[in-house]
Amino acid sequence: MSQWLSEVIAEGQRQNDWLSGNRQQATAALANVKWPVRRQEAWRFTPLVPVEKRTVSLAGPSEQQSTAPVIDGLEAYSLSFTGNQLSDEQGQVPEGLTFTLFSKADEAQQASIQALLGQVKPSHHLFGQVNDALLTEGVYIHVPANTVIDTPIRLTQLAASAGDQHLRVLVHIEAGAKVSVIEDGFGDADSLNTFVSEYVLEAQAELEHYRFAMYTQQAMHVGSCHFKVAEKAQLTSNIVGYGSVLSRLDVDVEYTGEFANANLNAIYLLAEGELFDLHSTIEHAVPNCTTEENARGIVGDRAKAVFNGRIHIHRDAQKTLAELNNRNLLLSRRAVVNTKPELEIYADDVRCAHGATVAEIEEKALYYLLTRGISRSQALIMLNFGFIQELITQIPNAAVSDWLLHRLRERFVSMEVK
Amino acid sequence: MLSINNLHASVEEKQIIKGLNLEIKPGEVHAIMGPNGAGKSTLGYVLSGRDGYEVNDGSATLNGKDLLELEVEERAREGLFLAFQYPVEIPGVSNMEFLKESVNALREHRGEEPLTAAEFLKKAKAACKQVQLPLDFLKRGVNEGFSGGEKKRNEIMQMILLEPSLCILDESDSGLDVDALQVVADGVNSQRDGERSFIVVTHYQRLLDYIKPDFVHILADGKIVKSGDASLALEVEKSGYAFLGKAYEESEA
Amino acid sequence: MSDQIEQALSKQYEAGFYSEIESDTFENGLDESVIRRISAIKNEPEWMLEWRLKAYRSWLEMEEPEWAHVDYEKVDYQAISYYSSPKSMKDKPKSLDEVDPDLLDVYNKLGIPLHEQEMLAGVAVDAVFDSVSVVTTFREKLEEAGVIFCPISEAIQKYPELVKKYIGSVVPRTDNYFAALNSAVFTDGSFVYIPKGVRCPMELSTYFRINEQNTGQFERTLIVADEGSHVSYLEGCTAPQRDENQLHAAVVELVALDKANIKYSTVQNWYPGDENGKGGIYNFVTKRGICHNDAKISWTQVETGSSVTWKYPSCVLKGDNSIGEFYSVALTRGRQQADTGTKMIHLGKNTRSTIISKGISAGKSNNAYRGLVQMGPKADNARNFTQCDSLLIGDQCGAHTFPYIESRNPSAIVEHEATTSKVSDEQMFLCQQRGLDAEKAVSMIVNGFCKEVFKELPMEFAVEAGKLLEISLEGSVG
Repeated sequence: MSQWLSEVIAEGQRQNDWLSGNRQQATAALANVKWPVRRQEAWRFTPLVPVEKRTVSLAGPSEQQSTAPVIDGLEAYSLSFTGNQLSDEQGQVPEGLTFTLFSKADEAQQASIQALLGQVKPSHHLFGQVNDALLTEGVYIHVPANTVIDTPIRLTQLAASAGDQHLRVLVHIEAGAKVSVIEDGFGDADSLNTFVSEYVLEAQAELEHYRFAMYTQQAMHVGSCHFKVAEKAQLTSNIVGYGSVLSRLDVDVEYTGEFANANLNAIYLLAEGELFDLHSTIEHAVPNCTTEENARGIVGDRAKAVFNGRIHIHRDAQKTLAELNNRNLLLSRRAVVNTKPELEIYADDVRCAHGATVAEIEEKALYYLLTRGISRSQALIMLNFGFIQELITQIPNAAVSDWLLHRLRERFVSMEVK
Repeated sequence: MLSINNLHASVEEKQIIKGLNLEIKPGEVHAIMGPNGAGKSTLGYVLSGRDGYEVNDGSATLNGKDLLELEVEERAREGLFLAFQYPVEIPGVSNMEFLKESVNALREHRGEEPLTAAEFLKKAKAACKQVQLPLDFLKRGVNEGFSGGEKKRNEIMQMILLEPSLCILDESDSGLDVDALQVVADGVNSQRDGERSFIVVTHYQRLLDYIKPDFVHILADGKIVKSGDASLALEVEKSGYAFLGKAYEESEA
Repeated sequence: MSDQIEQALSKQYEAGFYSEIESDTFENGLDESVIRRISAIKNEPEWMLEWRLKAYRSWLEMEEPEWAHVDYEKVDYQAISYYSSPKSMKDKPKSLDEVDPDLLDVYNKLGIPLHEQEMLAGVAVDAVFDSVSVVTTFREKLEEAGVIFCPISEAIQKYPELVKKYIGSVVPRTDNYFAALNSAVFTDGSFVYIPKGVRCPMELSTYFRINEQNTGQFERTLIVADEGSHVSYLEGCTAPQRDENQLHAAVVELVALDKANIKYSTVQNWYPGDENGKGGIYNFVTKRGICHNDAKISWTQVETGSSVTWKYPSCVLKGDNSIGEFYSVALTRGRQQADTGTKMIHLGKNTRSTIISKGISAGKSNNAYRGLVQMGPKADNARNFTQCDSLLIGDQCGAHTFPYIESRNPSAIVEHEATTSKVSDEQMFLCQQRGLDAEKAVSMIVNGFCKEVFKELPMEFAVEAGKLLEISLEGSVG
């Protein structure tokens, strides 16, 4: 066990509030955890050395940036969190749903939160357990049956220096309801955060989900998003990752009802010595569900991208359709990509495929652009960026799509194309 | 305007063009015909400067400038346009973005102001209309998911937008039905203004019914072996490449 | 429908007989004295013994790997014997005529006659029985071409310089748990050396047979192809049907010097255990080759046997322009478990690799492809293409794909694709409507599925492999 983890356990045991029951469960589990070393598959390519060197201290109020970057044209109910506290609020709670901050929950709401907490997140996630043990603020959203919420909810986590931040999001979407949630995170301050969200999609529910992990530099991030998807429910999730000294996102989708589907798109764009690690696991536990996952990344300079996409088809999950595709572009000799698409299949009447590529720009495409008078450097930018632009333009929210396009292009152009 | 002298070129150390001479004056249309493997497509690649196509001897000048000294994009900016036989698909890069970048690169080279988004859109829409492509086509990825005919029309649309001085059409007729062929030919003919020159590379005479050439050349084994007027094409259509000797006839069969 | 497939997949294991051959077998157990005894029996020089002992000491410090997608009762390394030799081999027969006819009979029964006139023309065979090589055919003919093909125990004595230079150079003593064990206790195996510029005049082949009970087989094969030489090598393996698991931990090292070309084919048919998973061979094998400039190594394997397989024939593409290939068919049925694949390590410029893996799972078996493609920072313009296809027969089996891809070079291209499918009712219906019975239909469909790999096998064995698959599939149809 690492010193850091012992401190987490001690700190978790010290916390005394209405969440103590959940915390105790987590600290008990953590006490038996083997600290991940590189021989453990889940952390094979992402060393946890930067975490080991930290001492545990929960961040308090912060002087730093406390409002989220503006997304032009986005009309959302937006909350920003800095140093474990709500630091900004924009817009109104959309009508039709219940929105509760953990710190302001009444007794009934506390009971709902306690009941839901950890019900979607698989218990094997070490940093998920850390979040269970140490979370001090969170958001609980409940969307009643057949309610369509048009206004997106935006939840922003801003890295504040020195302290650890453990934000939690719980969303319960009842049957036939529809909602859009944007989770984003920014900052470069020397810090550590576990940003964990859990979503329950009941039958025929629809969720348009976004998770942008745009932490850079010293802002360590070990976050996760977990979904349980019931019969005929639909999930679309768009993920964007930058890299920092350590940035890791775990995504889990579990189908609990038939004829549900999930569409996952992920983009990572890494510069300098950044590291971004995306692990996704799709549990096809029931028949007749459909998954499509596309992850694309551009890795420049000395950056390192890790992708692990697992599709697990359980024994009875017949008639599953699952496709996963991961494509990577390396821009530099010092950059590294480690990718592993995995299939684990225990049912025979399924259609599964995965593919992964690491490649450079096609010579033919470059030549085509050059014959049209476009300069080589501009052509390379167009082609390289075109590679991820394809996924950005598929994003259903136009304001978010435009904002991302602009922001990612800016980042890309500033990356040295070698 | 285009002057090719004793051009020798190879691909992967294999000689394809073996001493080709061609003189083209402003406003002329030259058709180049020939059997498979004669080097027809190679000529377009060599003149446009594709990587891997090595010039071993000879010269090629466009409006007095030594083409062979220039980079691919510089040749394009000097007014050389190649309409591809099989245009490549570039997913993720929208047609609009691509064309605007291209048009403005050429304008900049000519010392003109870049077009604003609105100005460009107007021009692009007009060009789209001229080659009968739907407008939503501008938003799609370059050639992505286009049919063969759409790709060819896209090439002609680019030609219209880029206003080159020399256009090389590489088998722009292959795989087209009569209606599509008419659209492509109309597009080309609309660009004949007495100044702009064309090299029409084709395997069949059919296209030349629509785009009337001033000269027809037969390319075989890397050289122009016979030149004439439009009637030469009809002759080839009628009796094949028999006059080249038995070997060619067989390769055609 | 699936009952028919089930049925087609449950035929008997044909090589499962045990032969009453009197043997000298070590008592069970492993310590340094056992290693000293093996070394002494083989009359080895001191350096070889030292090498073994170093390997043993490292092995003691190592842990058995657990990352593979297999689940088995761990081996008790003190409960097996590390050496067993037919008594008749003690006097080292000098020619085939002196070999115990009972031994030759074993091979006849397996369809591998060792009398040269009866053999497949153009195939030289080294026959390894438990811990010793029984006979190596066509040696004179090979010697004429300068090719050395002999038991490795003999090579250690006759060609110590060659062996010393290359043994452990591709698979180091401490490479992994099973390789370390093998390095300590290996008993026999084949040694091949092809001189500069020589194209080996015939196919070389080694046939491994485990006969004795409670023994492990630890063979070691070393093939060195000198500059510009060519060789094609094939190994086959069988074992009697028993209720206990037996361990086979082999090491194969290939060295392809500049412009050399090695083709290594395996038809692995160790006893797979019964339908309930009782008995069978644990096949824990380390195979790796190194390619120097412009060299090529091609692995082809047809894996139908063993209860547990842990095997990743690999290529280290060290030289510029070198080529690595891996073609694999792995069929599991009953309770068999296979975790197999390859590693392609691209170090040199313009290196190329191709991986074609076909996994067929039936019954209650689990079949996993595990592969690594690594593009080093200096592997400019390197290319890899990987295709992994899984075919599931029945709904009680598992098919898994774990490809690891690492690239550190922007001009390298890696492409991996994996698909999974089943023998569809439509396919079965079509075949049956055309008059084929269910078994024939399945075997046809499976053979078609594997075609890309079979075409890589030497001709004589392609037919063999097709048949083997057919036999293995019998009773699996439903």
